[in-house]
Amino acid sequence: MNTLLIPILIGVTVSASMIFFERIRLTELVNRLRSKDLISRLSFSGLMNYIKVLVWSEANPGASIESSAELDLSVLNCRARLTEQQENNGDSGAFNVEICGSIHAPGEVRSAILRISILDITEGFPKARPVQSCVKQRQIKDSTVFCYNAELGKLPHQVTTISNWTSIAQLRLDRLALPHKGKRKLLLSTSIFSADSGEQLACARCTFTYDNPAFGYIDLQENVRRTKTLAVALAFAVSAADKKLYDCEVEVIKNWARDNVDLSESSNKARRKLEKALNETVAFFRDGNQLNNYDICREIAEIAPLAERYDILNLCLYVAAANGSVTTEELAVLKNLARWLEVDAKKFRSMMEKVLPVDMYEVKDVEAILGVTSDMSKEKARRHLNKEYSKWSARVTNTDPEIQTQADQMLKLIAEARTQYVG
Amino acid sequence: MANIVGIDLGTTFSSLAILNSIGKPEIVPNADGERLTPSAIFFDEENTDIIRVGVEAINSRRLNAQRSVRWIKRHMGDPNYFKRIDNKDWTAVELSSLILKKLKQDCSVGVDQIRDVVISVPAHFDEVRRKATMDAGAMAGLNVIGLVNEPVAAALYYATTRKVSGKVLVYDLGGGTFDVTIMDVKGHQMDIICSQGDHALGGIDFDRKILEILQQKYRDKFNTELINSDEDRAKYEDEAEDIKKTLSRRPVAKEILYGPAGSMKVEITREVFEEAISSLMSRADILVEVAVEEAGLKPSAIDKVLLVGGSTRIPLVQHRLEKIFGFAPDTAVNVDECVALGAALHAGLTMLREKPDVLPASISNGLKDINLTDVCNHSYGTICAPVDKETGRRVIENRIILKKNTPLPCESSQTFYTLAEGQTDLEVTVTQGEDTAVEYVNKIATHKFKLPPNRPADRPIKVTYSYDVNQRMHCRFEDVESGKVLEVDLCLNQDGEMGESNVREKNKQLKSFKIE
Repeated sequence: MNTLLIPILIGVTVSASMIFFERIRLTELVNRLRSKDLISRLSFSGLMNYIKVLVWSEANPGASIESSAELDLSVLNCRARLTEQQENNGDSGAFNVEICGSIHAPGEVRSAILRISILDITEGFPKARPVQSCVKQRQIKDSTVFCYNAELGKLPHQVTTISNWTSIAQLRLDRLALPHKGKRKLLLSTSIFSADSGEQLACARCTFTYDNPAFGYIDLQENVRRTKTLAVALAFAVSAADKKLYDCEVEVIKNWARDNVDLSESSNKARRKLEKALNETVAFFRDGNQLNNYDICREIAEIAPLAERYDILNLCLYVAAANGSVTTEELAVLKNLARWLEVDAKKFRSMMEKVLPVDMYEVKDVEAILGVTSDMSKEKARRHLNKEYSKWSARVTNTDPEIQTQADQMLKLIAEARTQYVG
Repeated sequence: MANIVGIDLGTTFSSLAILNSIGKPEIVPNADGERLTPSAIFFDEENTDIIRVGVEAINSRRLNAQRSVRWIKRHMGDPNYFKRIDNKDWTAVELSSLILKKLKQDCSVGVDQIRDVVISVPAHFDEVRRKATMDAGAMAGLNVIGLVNEPVAAALYYATTRKVSGKVLVYDLGGGTFDVTIMDVKGHQMDIICSQGDHALGGIDFDRKILEILQQKYRDKFNTELINSDEDRAKYEDEAEDIKKTLSRRPVAKEILYGPAGSMKVEITREVFEEAISSLMSRADILVEVAVEEAGLKPSAIDKVLLVGGSTRIPLVQHRLEKIFGFAPDTAVNVDECVALGAALHAGLTMLREKPDVLPASISNGLKDINLTDVCNHSYGTICAPVDKETGRRVIENRIILKKNTPLPCESSQTFYTLAEGQTDLEVTVTQGEDTAVEYVNKIATHKFKLPPNRPADRPIKVTYSYDVNQRMHCRFEDVESGKVLEVDLCLNQDGEMGESNVREKNKQLKSFKIE
């Protein structure tokens, strides 16, 4: 949409709705729409609806139908009630949206449409954020913003009155994404339109609170950024484990950071800032300083999904492999990181196999490389080593000479381990 | 009619057998009257057109190791292996073809024409190595009508020469490779259950352990190295082999080492040797256990253990097997010759199946009761991109369609789904290997499959693989909605990287050399 048209459009919308234009400045509205990229994503009616909700909400801070003692049945009212999660049938719980009151139509409406949207207004209206949906059918076109549309059917009278609270929609919580975790204040907006003319027949709004147990979509973005920063710290910790920060290891970390750390402004300034931060970190570790790897891992384990934790461990493995040799100290750090990041031992070994060939180990740690442990019974160790043998024996004819060599070395190691652990 | 021939193309020795007029296999001696021909090659330095294969090559190796080659089988199918002689890079296929040519040449003297042959290969050989073996045969001017797994050949000979019944484990520890095959035998009905192999375990590895002992002893006494040239190495490799053979007969072997700092007498006891090879024997034990587990059996369910290959003469091999199974293994058949003899039987069975009319009735009658069911030696799959349940990410992985050890002939299907809306191209890959991780399997064929346009994602593609008794694999990719089909045939005797014309050309080039 041409941006020059936006102030005009907003002006029309606001005057049409005749509500509190003075409370929200036009330029602020435009900026907010631009920042959310809603101008290009929303249809004309969708955009108007969004603006109306913002303007109305600004005018009625804290308004809630639920808190109102008396209902005005001459207008439309709405409310949202939380239905509890049913653990047994896998039901995730839902917001049950209910309406009551009157819908005024200019005449007979052959087909009416219900539209529901939700806005998170916890931080006030300047920072209001839409609730998103992970189901395409419940999204505004070309965006992930939640919008529920349903056909209501025919409205035979000019005034249709619903005298009792009536459920009109069940919005599953596992399909909604709030911006943040924790106690949230949400603004529910329910509108009824004529499908023929597109005219809005009735509109109701209410606020309600919900304690969101899951990370919100903004939390997730922040978590991703934070996780990547922490990943760089762990990678340096692996590199510095043997008290030597090799240039090739530093280069692996820096390249990873350049590719992965989000530079929202990809300006030279932002890049210079990143380089400076990386160089300061190098200096920090070269001075013999250390970080608390356990605390970093715990934080990552809390905020990062498994896939990201795998990525971090993989980065650390590549750092350990960078100078062609894995020291005992580096291996010890890697093993701890895997445990603290809650990466399954089997998965960690399969990741190690791909990055750290046997000949790279300064000291061949059979337990780390093969997964056999001294507390295993002879029979268990025998079965485990047989499985490992079976796996590597099949890889020995691989067309990649490096994998062939790796397989050969593994088979030798397995045979030696058998003598040691089985006899 | 040309003879029906089986060839054991071994790492250290090779031999050739034919079916006699009543369908019984017999070894054909070489030009020196020996039943086994060393798989060794020497390129004559004075007359560069002469290539010596066999005993002469072994003897010449000590004089000029640079111009000699041994243990070529270990490099079969390796595209990076070359032996440079007189500005020519000899590949493992070409070198193997020289050995086959020598066998053909020598053995043709006493019998009629040799043309149609079956060559034995280790059970664990993959498609690349099998194809390389076929090419070597073709280059030597042979018509390779099939390949047979070495332990299967040995068992075939064993089961047709004595009364056997039950689960038989064939323990084939040769000069350079080790295979274990478990089969169910009921008279002349032989059903292979599974095979397992190790490409880098055999007699030469035991020899190397002895060589290490010799080197260490010399180093300890003279504080200098025993081996200082390729010729020294060749000499002591042969000495080590002799010591190993002695230790299979006697508890002590004695040898005099003539090194640069002086000579010394060494004694190696069987205990020292057994200690030195313990990790290699552990490897062999694991392979036996893995094969038994893969067959879904317990060691107690094995009725007979059949020894094949020269390295099974090592007493420790027999003791270890007795410890695992609780009874002594069977050493009744000739461990050096049974593979070639079995390969000749297999050649007869192939002819009986493919061209029964050309087979004399006397031979047909000798073979008609033998029934052999083989299995897929490897797993075959395709590459797909499912969503990982654990991470929610799409991952590229190998999905096995035909499982290893499935009895032949076999067929199996799986359905996959297109990834993208409007997807019109699908890269289909046939893989060989047991892993889920793509990097650990070999891609043996890749094709583009064109799909109809303008369709949503998730359209089903049915993938069907079938494998027949002649080791021909057929792959069928079907777009279920449109019925469009892509068919891929993979066959060992089809043109591979080395096409038929290339093989013919190489065959012509080899004719310019005189093989002695």
